[in-house]
Amino acid sequence: MMNPDQKSIFWVIATLSVAMAPQIVRMPLPIIAMALFPLLWRIGAELLGWKALPALIRHSATILALLTLFFSYGNVTGRRAAVSLLTVMLALKLIESYRIRDARLIVSFSLFLCATQFLFSQGILMPFYGAVTVIIALVTLTQLHRKEAFESVGETPAITASIFSELGFSLRLLALAIPVGLAFFLFFPRWATPLWGIPETTLDSKTGLSGSMSPGSIQSLFMDDSPAFRVEFESAIPQPPELYWRGPVFWNFDGKTWSGSFFGKNIAAKSRPDDQGAPWRYTVQLEPNERNWLFALDYPATTPMDTRVSMDFQIFRREAVTQLLQYSMVSNPDFADTPQMAETLKTSALDLPNGFNPRTRELVQGWRESGLTGRALVQHALDFFNQEAFYYSLDAPLLGKHSVDEFLFDSRTGYCEHYASTFTVMMRMAGIPARIVTGYQGGWYNTMGEYLLVRQSDAHAWSEVWFPGDGWTRVDPTAAVSPARVNRGSLGALSAPRHLLDYAWLRNMRNGIDVVQQRWNDWVIKFGASQQAKMFSPLGLERMTPSTLVIALFVAIGLFSAVLLPFILRTRGPGRKDPLQAAWQKFLKRLQSAGCEIQPSNGAIELAHEAALHLPGDSRAIHQIADLYSRYRYSPLPPSLNELKSAIKEFHPKKTAV
Amino acid sequence: MNSTVMNRADRTASRHIRLLEAQQAVNEILLGKSLQVRLSFCCLLARGHLMIEDVPGVGKTTLAIAMARVIGSDYQRVQFTSDLLPADILGVSIYKRDKEEFELHPGPIFSQVILVDEINRATPKTQSALLEGMAEGQVTIENTTHPLPSPFFVLATQNPLDLVGTFPLPDSQLDRFLISISLGYPDPAAERELLTTEDRSRMLDRTTSLLTPDDVKELQEDCEKVHVSEDLLDYIQALIKETRNDRWFETGLSPRAGLALLRASRAYAFLDERDYVIPEDVKTIFPGLSRHRLSPSSGFAQSADEQIEELLSQVPIP
Repeated sequence: MMNPDQKSIFWVIATLSVAMAPQIVRMPLPIIAMALFPLLWRIGAELLGWKALPALIRHSATILALLTLFFSYGNVTGRRAAVSLLTVMLALKLIESYRIRDARLIVSFSLFLCATQFLFSQGILMPFYGAVTVIIALVTLTQLHRKEAFESVGETPAITASIFSELGFSLRLLALAIPVGLAFFLFFPRWATPLWGIPETTLDSKTGLSGSMSPGSIQSLFMDDSPAFRVEFESAIPQPPELYWRGPVFWNFDGKTWSGSFFGKNIAAKSRPDDQGAPWRYTVQLEPNERNWLFALDYPATTPMDTRVSMDFQIFRREAVTQLLQYSMVSNPDFADTPQMAETLKTSALDLPNGFNPRTRELVQGWRESGLTGRALVQHALDFFNQEAFYYSLDAPLLGKHSVDEFLFDSRTGYCEHYASTFTVMMRMAGIPARIVTGYQGGWYNTMGEYLLVRQSDAHAWSEVWFPGDGWTRVDPTAAVSPARVNRGSLGALSAPRHLLDYAWLRNMRNGIDVVQQRWNDWVIKFGASQQAKMFSPLGLERMTPSTLVIALFVAIGLFSAVLLPFILRTRGPGRKDPLQAAWQKFLKRLQSAGCEIQPSNGAIELAHEAALHLPGDSRAIHQIADLYSRYRYSPLPPSLNELKSAIKEFHPKKTAV
Repeated sequence: MNSTVMNRADRTASRHIRLLEAQQAVNEILLGKSLQVRLSFCCLLARGHLMIEDVPGVGKTTLAIAMARVIGSDYQRVQFTSDLLPADILGVSIYKRDKEEFELHPGPIFSQVILVDEINRATPKTQSALLEGMAEGQVTIENTTHPLPSPFFVLATQNPLDLVGTFPLPDSQLDRFLISISLGYPDPAAERELLTTEDRSRMLDRTTSLLTPDDVKELQEDCEKVHVSEDLLDYIQALIKETRNDRWFETGLSPRAGLALLRASRAYAFLDERDYVIPEDVKTIFPGLSRHRLSPSSGFAQSADEQIEELLSQVPIP
């Protein structure tokens, strides 16, 4: 029975730890405990010499782990649950692994575990992390294999390989695998729709805007600098005040929270803007956010695949966005949205809960009594925000029951949500139909990548008011308070940094670096069936069936191998690694071509004696080289190799017939 | 401190020079046999014992006496005959009447260099008495253990032709000898010189000691410091492993023989003025070291020597 030594066991533990680290941070606490316990136990067992656990404890631990999994997830079918099962079982395997076979099994499954991380994140850093995991796993496997090889021969290794040589070996193995991986990436058949459906709601947390809005709900987004989506424009790029990325639209207000209406969600848009002659044509690359709405500029003239456009011009998708999603859009701002509105909708756009915000009601009532109506009233409200002492700040105090009153008369400090909410309520009080639109505003134009980057911190909320004949019109009360919010972006409008490292230059650098992630998305993540087809079209192969793709795959791998094989064999050949041997082999080759016979059983000195008989003219050089060689090879303090190398370099024997 | 180091280095160097001079002196007496002479010294430095195996008259005894003379040790010669008894070698205790006790009269084995002539003529019992001393470095006479002097160097000669009335040594006892050499006839030039120059026995009488017993002990210690690289150990192991392949010999070399090979190779490298062993040293030592330890597998017409040559040419140097 072959047992791995302690060093190998620690390598196995390291491999497993590295492989499960990105997964474990997203798991529920009991599962983390179940995965860490065996790991720590094994480390303790190795260091302190604890005995192996009895079978009863091991089996109970397994059952306990299964129960924990079941109660944490409710089932064991989801992505997360399955990966947790794999992680916990692998960790538990550690407590009973005392043979090389078991150790190797753990390492192999760790590689599998490492691959599962791509089910959850496909960011650009993941492949690098994966590469680190694979290298550690390869080093571990090499060690296990070497151990086994020596034990089966019955000898202990005379020389232990240094960690650097093992690392080098693993890196070389990995490098050899890269062409094969590339071939699989390019040629493995892709289907337009995945063969297996990834269950919905599998990401660990929904990101981005939510399906309802209450003052404070966007605030957390301002702190989040992760990208929401990226946009490449085919047409001219709109000016910042026009970059309103429309998301969820809210009609209903209960005094505190805004939410969408049944109509808004379920009735399709009757009339759509003209997509011919529309000024804005662009492609959106939406990061996975687990929501099922897409973002577009006002007003979407086309409908992306698998989506529908509602009557308030939200774009809904049937399934949540769990993977990077790319869609092309055409938007036309010159469009009258619902010039005639049904009474039910009008009621819904004027509805306010009773018994809230009496002071505001009084204020608006005063404006109406002074004869203000329609657009003039809207303008008056905006001027009110602009001229009174309102501040744009993320440090908004919490609001109580009469949130609009408190904001309007007391705190007067807030951000887009407060202004949009307050303004909309005021409009409804004034009898003007109004609603709230949330989404993103602005974006950072990356000149290097020529795309617009919209981050979560660009989240915004604004209002729309309805006038008969003109339809819904966008009004942004935040812009009245802080025009910088619209012109310079959400963060440009803030006077104080959000946190310690919130500097403008750092933000700009981060935005610039984002081009790497964008390219990664462009070239790697979204490489699918259509890109594959595009790759072959220059060759005149428009339609590749899966079987021809597989043939292409194997041909490519075959070609790679044919090119690489000589190099691989060369690394195995004698003297490849050792510069001394390399130089010596060169010397022997020269002797051979000069007509000397080389006996492998002859030592360097003997060989020199014989060669000198053949080549009396070069006798001195031959003896010198042979003497140097045996000194470098066998002496305890070999000097530097250069002397021998240069001697061999200068050695050019003349062919002489003896 | 510096001067002590210098002194030590000087002493080492002068010791080494005197060793080479001693070797040269023996070479002057025994003409044209420099390899055998060097192997003999190698055997001495490796704390081994030497077996000289050849027909009479080629200079076996001359070599042995010359060696003993230049080493400058006290030296005894024992002619083995079939009626020789262990006590003749080890010595006897004789009752002294005036002291009223037994007193040991040490035999020839209590000298630093012993020449055992025609070792295969004595009975196994007598042979064993000698060989035990060679192996253990001590002898036991009447329940008292006496250590043998140091250095202790046995040169034995053996006549392979005259087999009537001899007791050939068993393999296990031959193993006690580190190296066996055979001298062979001299080449014509050497023979001519032998015939024209003065009588060898007179030259031997004139030979003075060039080394002291202490020198020999220190030289033996120096030899142990010679460096052996991993690559060389690979080669030695490969050689030993190959002898155990039954297509060559009935039995292979023992681990003891492997240790002996390493020790002798070190001594040989030292004699070649190197502080590290190279494969050529091993190859030179190997026939002398393995000849008396190995017998060819049955079915081979070749002698052990030929087999060993063949084996050496088949094991590549790693």
